[in-house]
Amino acid sequence: MNIVACVKQVPDTEAQIKVKGDGSGIEEGGIKWVMNPYDEFGVEEALKLKEKLGGDVTIVSVGPARAMETVRTALAMGAEKGILIDDPALYNADAYATAEALAAAIKGIPYDIIFCGQRAIDDDSAQVGAILAELLGIPQVTFVTKLEIDGTAVKATRPIEGASVVVATSRPCVITATKGLNEPRYASLPGIMKAKKKPVDMKKAADLGVSGAAKAKVVKFAPPPARPPGKIICADDTPEGKAAELAKLLREEAKVI
Amino acid sequence: MSNGLVNMRDQSFVLYEQIGIQKLFEKEQFADYSEDVVEMMRNEAEKMAVNVIVPTYAEGDKEGCHIDKDGQVRVPRCYHDAYKKFCQGGWLAPTKSPEVGGQGTPVVVASSCSEMFSAANFAFIMYPGLTLGAAGLIERFGTEELKNKYMYKMYSGEWGGTMCLTEPGAGSDVGALKTTAKRLPDGRYLITGTKSFISSGDQDLTPNIIHPVLARIEGDPPGTGGISIFIVPKYRVNDDGGIGEFNDVRVGNVEHKMGIKGSSTCTLNFGDEGKCIGELLGNERQGIRIMFHMMNEARLEVGVQGLGHASAALEHAVQYAKERIQSVPVWDMKNPDAKAVPIIMHPDVRRDLLWMKAYVEGIRAMNLFTAYCIDMAKVGDTPEERAKYQGFVELLTPVCKAYSSDMACLVTSKAIDVYGGYGYCQEYPVEQYMRDCKISCLYEGTNGIQALDLVGRKLGMNKGANVMNMMGEIDATIKKAKSHGDLAKYAAKLEEAYFAVVDLTMAFAALGKSSGFLIPILNASPYLDIFGDMLLGHFLLQGASIAREKLDGIFAARGADSIGKKRALVHTDPDVAFYEGKIAAAKFFAIEVLTSVKSKCEAIKLGEKTPIEMAIESFAA
Ligand SMILES: Cc1cc2nc3c(=O)[nH]c(=O)nc-3n(C[C@H](O)[C@H](O)[C@H](O)COP(=O)(O)OP(=O)(O)OC[C@H]3O[C@@H](n4cnc5c(N)ncnc54)[C@H](O)[C@@H]3O)c2cc1C
Repeated sequence: MNIVACVKQVPDTEAQIKVKGDGSGIEEGGIKWVMNPYDEFGVEEALKLKEKLGGDVTIVSVGPARAMETVRTALAMGAEKGILIDDPALYNADAYATAEALAAAIKGIPYDIIFCGQRAIDDDSAQVGAILAELLGIPQVTFVTKLEIDGTAVKATRPIEGASVVVATSRPCVITATKGLNEPRYASLPGIMKAKKKPVDMKKAADLGVSGAAKAKVVKFAPPPARPPGKIICADDTPEGKAAELAKLLREEAKVI
Repeated sequence: MSNGLVNMRDQSFVLYEQIGIQKLFEKEQFADYSEDVVEMMRNEAEKMAVNVIVPTYAEGDKEGCHIDKDGQVRVPRCYHDAYKKFCQGGWLAPTKSPEVGGQGTPVVVASSCSEMFSAANFAFIMYPGLTLGAAGLIERFGTEELKNKYMYKMYSGEWGGTMCLTEPGAGSDVGALKTTAKRLPDGRYLITGTKSFISSGDQDLTPNIIHPVLARIEGDPPGTGGISIFIVPKYRVNDDGGIGEFNDVRVGNVEHKMGIKGSSTCTLNFGDEGKCIGELLGNERQGIRIMFHMMNEARLEVGVQGLGHASAALEHAVQYAKERIQSVPVWDMKNPDAKAVPIIMHPDVRRDLLWMKAYVEGIRAMNLFTAYCIDMAKVGDTPEERAKYQGFVELLTPVCKAYSSDMACLVTSKAIDVYGGYGYCQEYPVEQYMRDCKISCLYEGTNGIQALDLVGRKLGMNKGANVMNMMGEIDATIKKAKSHGDLAKYAAKLEEAYFAVVDLTMAFAALGKSSGFLIPILNASPYLDIFGDMLLGHFLLQGASIAREKLDGIFAARGADSIGKKRALVHTDPDVAFYEGKIAAAKFFAIEVLTSVKSKCEAIKLGEKTPIEMAIESFAA
């Protein structure tokens, strides 16, 4: 089985993000970079599938040189090889341009199933997996929490409001992973030492015949407005008085009731 | 954002900018290593520490260890899953060679990961830690048969290990031990005796436990020279490698302790029914010499244990001090509208935090440097270079063990001060850091014994060459710092301390040859403290000089040519904030600590012997 897992390098969830003075992006100094947590579920599922059915796992990533760390981490977890698409033309790629580059790279290798995270925690767009499937012309199931594969038949469970649905399709297909699918393993020390020697194919946009042109344009980055200070209600000291004051504020100031 | 355990930025600084472990990657033995690989390791170690080990910290402390009715010791339940993940990750024996199940990792890199694991939960880490030490002895001194039978399964974590030295009547004086070994016709030995305080002595994490046991073969002379070491499994091992018959090793008791409650500390009875069989490791009467081979690394590991606790206490205290709002600042006292501020604004809290930071960062540099010396003693280019680094290891090990643990206890105590009353309560982790940390002053040889080792053996070793080499390093630090205008004043304090310590050391050497030998013995502990102060001053100032140069580089690159512009960068550039912190810690330590070294040396040189001259009756009359 030829399994592909797409990964993106993102700032750690704990990182304190500062917007650059000119609004052109974020300050990267001092940020700790990690594998997008949803992609970890995808990589783990890919590895489990390989362990069950045999085959190998290829990691594909679009990103600058530092993203190599993330590719290597996935290799240390147990994947066989990697492709890193590093091209300045893609540094400001939107979801479409990213998916286009991924699709072009994946077209060049055999694939039976492709894993993505349901979304990346940095731009939160949740589109790459879906666009990738469209560009490859294969089915997709997104937000998957359980996956069963039997021959070419694929059964994937995804949550919907208050319930879950089971989608039946066939491979090749794109699965986007979310929390609950599995518990991602840690890269082991032997895995780290082996990862160094595993092949990673470096690609440029031109190698893949893509331009990197984005369909969406980022106008400006801006931090969310500072939260206004909280208010302590002390109108009069009885519970009734406080409740009345709260109701009034919720209706007139916050306009939520 | 802090991981609550270890300042990763400072660790990187010590590894790459201060020690320069990149030099190791050029050696053939470490050809598989590079900065990328080490970064990945540290990253994974951090994840393991934060996500897997930290959740066992408070829970393991509450649950503790107990003996079941069947005589089996149970460790905290949450340890089981963490133990499995830790071993699967390959963290038990990274420094060992790949042939035996390790990864040939430099000791200094493994120690940096150990710092994180120790900070996360030392009681937990003791299980794999003891196994590593025991398997190491078998690797080095065992026959092929012993290795095949035990070692591989231990390095993988499948079976556990211990270290059985102490007996009720033989603590600091191992030579007084009473456990005996009786030769059997087949070349094996029948072991009889009781060992006390045995860490991991029994546990339910692994199906078998392998005990290296110090004992005296019947008829051998008393004292340390007559001691041999035996491999004694809890269950005998069949020829096919499977677990066989019970080997008559019984748990008499599990201690109830002040801290590290998740680590089982057992009294073990060997051969109550005359059926405990041991296999000799190495040659007869070589027990102590064999044990000494693992001593340096084991003692350094205890130093790193202290470091881990102190580091976690510091990370927590800084975070807390930024969040806890209490009292108006002193400069606003007269202002009736003044608002209470985070306690980090109060001068006394701030000095506590800087005091902690200086010790933690100094101890980190000292321990990691010593670990690096262990590597260089193996892979140095020439015999002279290797000997020089081995000399550093010998000299610094007792200081790493004793000074780190003693100061770490004070740092954890100081963290409680920062938290105020909340620090004393179990809702916050700092009281546990203090309880867990204290043991590091006691085992692996009490700190009193470490001080005697330093003064009695290590100072004079190699005709004093080890000390002279270290003094050479310190001298270089002083010279370099003096060349950085704003550090010169602090370099002078280190220089003053350095001369005083050299002077006292020479005085000790002279006394050692005369009837005054009791003076060095009586003052071994304060000497170790002073020696540690001087070393920390050296490591901190060495770091400060590097930070100074880096800062100058950043300021030039960013066009910060005025004091105002430089100051502004502290708030926006994390590197600037970090390097300024390094310099601040070195300056503070020089004034706070180094200034009193000389007077302490002078005091010792007065030659007072009151503690030994006074009568025992007078102590509590
Ligand atoms: C939690 C825990 C875990 C342990 N784990 C292990 C283990 O795994 N394996 C193992 O073998 N042991 C272990 N020990 C034992 C530990 O190493 C000993 O407690 C230690 O060596 C001190 O021995 P002691 O307790 O008998 O103290 P003592 O030797 O009675 O010492 C008491 C005091 O006298 C001082 N003293 C003794 N002799 C001298 C001297 N010659 N000069 C100056 N001062 C002296 C000591 O410094 C100390 O201050 C453990 C102990 C504890 C508490």
